Amino acid sequence: MDARTTAGLETGATTPMTQEHEYIELHAASAFSFLAGASQPEALIERAAELGMSAVALADRNGIYGAARFHTMAKKTGVRARIGAEIAVSTFGDRLTPAAWLPHQFPAEPARLTLLCASQIGYQNLCQLITRFKMREATKAEGAATLEDLEEFSSGLICLSGGAEGPLAAALTNKGQSEAGKLAERLSSIYGRGNYYLELQRHGQREEEIRNQSLISLADSLNLSVIATNGVQYAIEADREILDVLTTIRHHTSLDKAGRLLAQSTARSLLPARHMAALFADIPEAIANTRMVSDRLEFTLDNLGYKFPHYPVGAGETMDGFLAQRVEEGVRKRYGSPAKRALLAKARAQVEHELKLIAKLGFAGYFLIVWDLIRYCQNHGILAQGRGSAANSAVCYALEITAVDPVGMELLFERFLNENRGEWPDIDLDLPSGDQREQVIQYVYERYGQLGAAMTANVISYRGRSAAREVGKALDFTEDQLARLSTLVGHWEWRGANDTLAHNFAQAGFDARHPRIARYLDLCMRMQNLPRHLGQHSGGMVICAGMLNRVVPLERASMPGRTVIQWDKEDCADMGLIKVDLLGLGMMAVLQDSIELIPRHYKREIDLAALPEDPVVYETLCKADTVGMFQVESRAQMASIPHNAPVRFYDLVVQVAIIRPGPIVGKMMHPYMRRRQGKEEVTYPHPSLEPVLKRTLGVPLFQEQLLRMAMTVASFSGAEAEELRRAVGMRRSMQRMKDLEGRLRAGMARNGIKPDAQDNIVQSISSFAMYGFPESHAASFALIAYASAYLKVHYLAAFTCGLLNNQPMGFYSPAVLIKDAQRHGLRVRPIDVLRSEWLCTLEQPADEPAVEQESIALKGHGFSRAERVAKSTRALAPEGMPGGKNTFPQGLKPSSFLAPSDGTVKTVPFQNKTSKPSPNFLTGTESLPYLSLRIGLNYVKGLRQASAEAIVAARRNGDFASVDDLAARVPELSRKELVALAHVGALNRLGAVEHRRDALWQVEQAGRPVGPLLRGAAPVAQAANPLRQMEADERLAADYAGTGITTGPHPMAWQRAELQRQGFLSARELEECSSERRVRLAGRVICRQRPGTAKGFVFLSVEDETGIANVIITPDLFEQNRVVVTRSRFLSITGKLQKQDGVVHLKAQQVEVFELAAF
Amino acid sequence: MTPLHTPLYACIHAEEFPAQALLRLRTDLAVQPLAVLDGKPPLETVCSLNRPARLKGAEVGLTRLEAEALPGLQLLPRSLETEAAARAVLLESAAQFSPRLEPASRMEDQGLTCACVLDITGTERLFGPPNDLAARLRDALTEAGLRASVAVSANFHTARLKAATSRGITVVAPGQEAAALGKLPLSALGLPPDPAEIFSIWGIRTLDELAALPESDLVARLGPQTVDWRRLAQGTLPHAFQPMEAAFTLEEFCAFETPVEQIDSLLFVGARMIDCLATRAGARALSLASMEIEMKLDGGAATKRTIRPALATTDRKFLLKLLQLEVAAHPPQAAVLALTLRAQAGQSSKVQLGLFAPQTPEPSRLDVTIARLKAIAGEDRVGSPVLLDTHRPGSFRMVGFSVVETGTGVARARRMVERAEPDSGDTRPCMALRRVRPPTQVRVQLDALKPIAFRDREQSYQVAAAYGPWRSSGCWWSTEACNNEYWNSEEWDVLAESSSGAAASCLLVRNCTNNHWQLEAFYD
Repeated sequence: MDARTTAGLETGATTPMTQEHEYIELHAASAFSFLAGASQPEALIERAAELGMSAVALADRNGIYGAARFHTMAKKTGVRARIGAEIAVSTFGDRLTPAAWLPHQFPAEPARLTLLCASQIGYQNLCQLITRFKMREATKAEGAATLEDLEEFSSGLICLSGGAEGPLAAALTNKGQSEAGKLAERLSSIYGRGNYYLELQRHGQREEEIRNQSLISLADSLNLSVIATNGVQYAIEADREILDVLTTIRHHTSLDKAGRLLAQSTARSLLPARHMAALFADIPEAIANTRMVSDRLEFTLDNLGYKFPHYPVGAGETMDGFLAQRVEEGVRKRYGSPAKRALLAKARAQVEHELKLIAKLGFAGYFLIVWDLIRYCQNHGILAQGRGSAANSAVCYALEITAVDPVGMELLFERFLNENRGEWPDIDLDLPSGDQREQVIQYVYERYGQLGAAMTANVISYRGRSAAREVGKALDFTEDQLARLSTLVGHWEWRGANDTLAHNFAQAGFDARHPRIARYLDLCMRMQNLPRHLGQHSGGMVICAGMLNRVVPLERASMPGRTVIQWDKEDCADMGLIKVDLLGLGMMAVLQDSIELIPRHYKREIDLAALPEDPVVYETLCKADTVGMFQVESRAQMASIPHNAPVRFYDLVVQVAIIRPGPIVGKMMHPYMRRRQGKEEVTYPHPSLEPVLKRTLGVPLFQEQLLRMAMTVASFSGAEAEELRRAVGMRRSMQRMKDLEGRLRAGMARNGIKPDAQDNIVQSISSFAMYGFPESHAASFALIAYASAYLKVHYLAAFTCGLLNNQPMGFYSPAVLIKDAQRHGLRVRPIDVLRSEWLCTLEQPADEPAVEQESIALKGHGFSRAERVAKSTRALAPEGMPGGKNTFPQGLKPSSFLAPSDGTVKTVPFQNKTSKPSPNFLTGTESLPYLSLRIGLNYVKGLRQASAEAIVAARRNGDFASVDDLAARVPELSRKELVALAHVGALNRLGAVEHRRDALWQVEQAGRPVGPLLRGAAPVAQAANPLRQMEADERLAADYAGTGITTGPHPMAWQRAELQRQGFLSARELEECSSERRVRLAGRVICRQRPGTAKGFVFLSVEDETGIANVIITPDLFEQNRVVVTRSRFLSITGKLQKQDGVVHLKAQQVEVFELAAF
Repeated sequence: MTPLHTPLYACIHAEEFPAQALLRLRTDLAVQPLAVLDGKPPLETVCSLNRPARLKGAEVGLTRLEAEALPGLQLLPRSLETEAAARAVLLESAAQFSPRLEPASRMEDQGLTCACVLDITGTERLFGPPNDLAARLRDALTEAGLRASVAVSANFHTARLKAATSRGITVVAPGQEAAALGKLPLSALGLPPDPAEIFSIWGIRTLDELAALPESDLVARLGPQTVDWRRLAQGTLPHAFQPMEAAFTLEEFCAFETPVEQIDSLLFVGARMIDCLATRAGARALSLASMEIEMKLDGGAATKRTIRPALATTDRKFLLKLLQLEVAAHPPQAAVLALTLRAQAGQSSKVQLGLFAPQTPEPSRLDVTIARLKAIAGEDRVGSPVLLDTHRPGSFRMVGFSVVETGTGVARARRMVERAEPDSGDTRPCMALRRVRPPTQVRVQLDALKPIAFRDREQSYQVAAAYGPWRSSGCWWSTEACNNEYWNSEEWDVLAESSSGAAASCLLVRNCTNNHWQLEAFYD
């Protein structure tokens, strides 16, 4: 042992801190090493700043997942963020594991090198290297590089040999010094002698120190440099506990069983330079080299080299010119009609202004690329609509990216784009969820290449429930205990004095004071928000000019055919990557389905872009009859919409915007509603603001209004006003806000506005800047909301069919949607193997004789043959409900669907076509067919799609004669699937089937495989079915258990006689009662809400066969009946009725479980 | 051949058995609401309760905290020992009426009920008609502190099902079984989940509905086992009675007329007892795998020891030798009043010796040697140390020696030869660590957290060089006071010179939680 090594082993000596002792940590892993690091990248930076470390390098495993956050945080704190990664290399063999004679559970995994980016080329190489081995995998996988990959992408990178996980450690231990020397030489030849460092770490382990001595010796013999790192895995010592828990999760074990997999000590935290200098006092050059290497790492993420692609234009053309041409064509199309000609000049001026700015900022390519996507959608019959602030742009409107006319609606372009913003515009496209959206995504891949476009990532982080489960497993809780604890933790959105964790645990029967439970809670809380794994964002796509894999690594997504980048959308925004959001919107899919179904079944074309403005639709909205409608179906919307009483499109825009947490918290909702109802005088902060705020009755609601206010009173430019909005809204820099406020006040003073009025305006701007909603976004959503309302009112069957085929979506379950549709007169037919397709379908009356239909419906609900014959002579009724064709329960006649008596129909202001009176199949004002909705086989729980499609295919050769025939012709059907079909009544129309139980009896035999001897033999004659048919409640239970829905009467309908006897009122009857009356109600709870803005009040929607009632539960009553309110499916409620402006609420005084035999 | 008597069975069914077992001896609690908790703290749940507790609103499945919230509810932990004793009492009471008993508790009940069926065929002349017998049986149980329902039927299963689903006494007249069972819910049969679900969706809720289904159609649908279920529902399923047999126990007991103080006298009797035990085991082609020695001592105390030879054996001399060594190692603290030997039977061992394998000591001789070592060193200090999968320094457990078949004799011999000639290529210096057991407490003088001098009880040392600290910590999640295994230590390898001038290389360890230093080992 030479003098240096002897001194080196004698550690712990205090060393005076000098400049040359400055230490930079160059090997730190964050939680983005996914279960191999315990601190967020931001926490590492914060800790480095606390320690006075001037720079720190992040090297996460096989990726730069945390680099963007690391960089962003570093910029805030002044710490320099060095970027790198730990790269697994398969060629070097497995990483070091404990000796074979030691019991351990280390799995074999490749050794990892640490690579740091010295230059932009180095960064690009690192990204390409990671992409190379990640994309080599057929599916989402960790992957590993090869030596050839390292050779190909070595330039601009500095390589550290790695700690215990590195190839040198494994080589030294397993193959000896000479082999390790060869490996070191190989790596130094790849990266260059000056770019390869032997990494020394000191965590207080003897084996590690032995390796260190060998490395020092190697460095001497090979003339290589050594460098000190701490192989950081967490920012502070205490987080070693989190790392241990993450380790158990990674290895699917528990803390008690993990053994040597766990950390040996708490040494892998970010340590102060003084501490590190003391540790390496014997090798000062190892510390000095950290500073030197850090200085060589010139690359930062500010210098990504990302470029958005150019749109290809013809020779001699420019993108700006090409865009101007397309816009001009669009303007002519959009504003060329006589009705809009008045706006044409204004529109031309607006697009000219916008195009100038777009040209100046160089964004033409972006607009053209989005336009190209829209064109693709149009050519392939895919509905697409831009949302968000893009709707402020006349250029977007002209390019048909958005559907809201910003000129007609006087929307403010600066909210979308302005010169000072320094950001790319953000255009989100709503597409029908499902296959069509996938089609558009694949088009983007096809057009820009597999390495030119990718989805943005979605970092899946630990939240209450997932943390609770994983920590519980780590602490060896049993499955049963885990289930109880995680269910409990799922309800952690508490408020109120009693809503402490301890209280909630006590409620669920756990003692939070018990040390084990206390430890559990502590770990759960500390695990919150740590990344768990990487998913893909729902629709964000990043597109790049050139190779995106040089900007950020790409990897396979779980979904076949998808690639995903290693950053999420916030990271992309921070790093200046431009994404186009291709968002799947369930309602767009419903609209798409509807416009396909309507021509086929109603024999009329419908143009969503030219829907008439129909008073009937507004009448329906005013009655809060909005189940299934986009954006206006929530409990809060239903409670407020009658107060606001929308009568024109703009009212709907306000309605969509106002019921949001922001406006409610910002206390904007009630002033507007009071003014809307004439209960409060309409005033303005200053008379000059009247034109700006007139539309919203003097109450600023939209962000665009803020901009206009500043522009009006203080003569701000659009860009300045947008800057003001962002400064006030984000509240990031107090100094910036003060400056802007000063400018605002100065501007107002110049315009002669008095100080008290100035205060009023400043106060007004400040209060809603945080919460205001973009008007353009509200308008885009309102368009879809109106379309959904229009379709529901006029084409209920098609709309409901679309809703049921695109579940899950919206607020309500299919069961609620079906009951609502039935209450509006739609006939819903049960699942039938002779009729149903995989999805729900519409049927014409000709499809089935009326008598037969009724017969089937009754048969489906267990009536005997004789009863069926007797009942089927009556007119048609909703299935299972006695009564005639138009027999609705009292008060349920859908008057809202009546056409306007005067026949006058206005058009939606942003549309251009002359509309016709609304068709209405229920009233017969238009001779439309009496359509019915057939539930699809997809609603049968446990039935595979392949089996259902086999049924449909076999049926093309003729109807099934019997259960045996079905089983024989569709061999794909398993016995369980046959039982599932029989159980829900889907086999009732087969020959020789009397009722569901008869079918169940038959399928048990038909569904069992026959031995070879009897295969092909004629079926044995069936003995009479010995099973009695189901009772009504049994059928109901079977429907809900087997499909989650029922086409028969509502469960409460069967109880109505008894309920009436006991004095219960129906939801419909509540509307006719006087306010303040004490009433009783019973029904099914379809929606429970405890919004953050409601001070602990709970809102329930309770449904019975006549409609939906709104129930309010006070915090005290909720505390007394917490379990009943949160868990019971059916409730009986006694309370006082509150009626205001047509909105009926039942304020509960007593809540009890309502027992139903079937549930 | 026509049987002399019509078969007749009585079934006893005791519900809420964990609660009953505890209350049997605690009559003071009988009228109070009482619930029994089962499970591992802190997640215990109520598994059984009495009637007053039920009236208070308690139910099975409540957590401890929920149960504690019910005012006046007494909570007791479940005691399997008490339940075993109560079960023995129940069987003993039943045995007064018939020696032929068959347990009838269902496995899935997990001991929450206790049931047995008595074959009471031909007991009319002794105990009167079935009604009387049932009444006397129930009285006997009540007297023993147990509450149970009793059902009598000519069909075994009918008696069993009826007792489990009714209260008090039920006598089913012959031929009335189907009627008696008809209204019972189908769940009474305890069917497997799949057929139970099928019957449920068929709307079959009671046994008479099941009984009414056509047998052949049922078999075609659900298989041949449905025949039994149907007959069970009809009360016609036959049953081959399997009376409980006394377990084959190898136990010998001898009470001395006068207290025995001499170990030789004890062994004299012990030798005879071992002889008997070995003979009895041998008669069943078994050997003695272990033997428990229980000595009742003068003054009321008792002592128990166990000897466990490596291989089961019937070698009397060998077993006696083990007994002798065991008693010698743990001599009774008072004169012995009675001696009991209980043996566990095991299969006779066979060891195939290899032709080329070196001669090894006979297992029995090894056992004797180990027994001698254990007598000297302690029970848990002899065996083979096995390292544990943990970072905790010095963690190991002792595993008893056992005969393990490790391959053919040739292979074994080769391995032994290989061991005898270690690889001469490895020239690395070997260093031995000599552990100080127990470690010596030392006082350490530090400079900048690094030891510079220390002293033990005898002398002081000056540290010439210190290497470390080698850190280790873990088990931070161990929170229960009784099981706190958390450790956090630092080790230092030091070169030191004692006050006497001797040099030493030693291992110093600091417990970081209490800052205590120990000298743990010397490097030789």
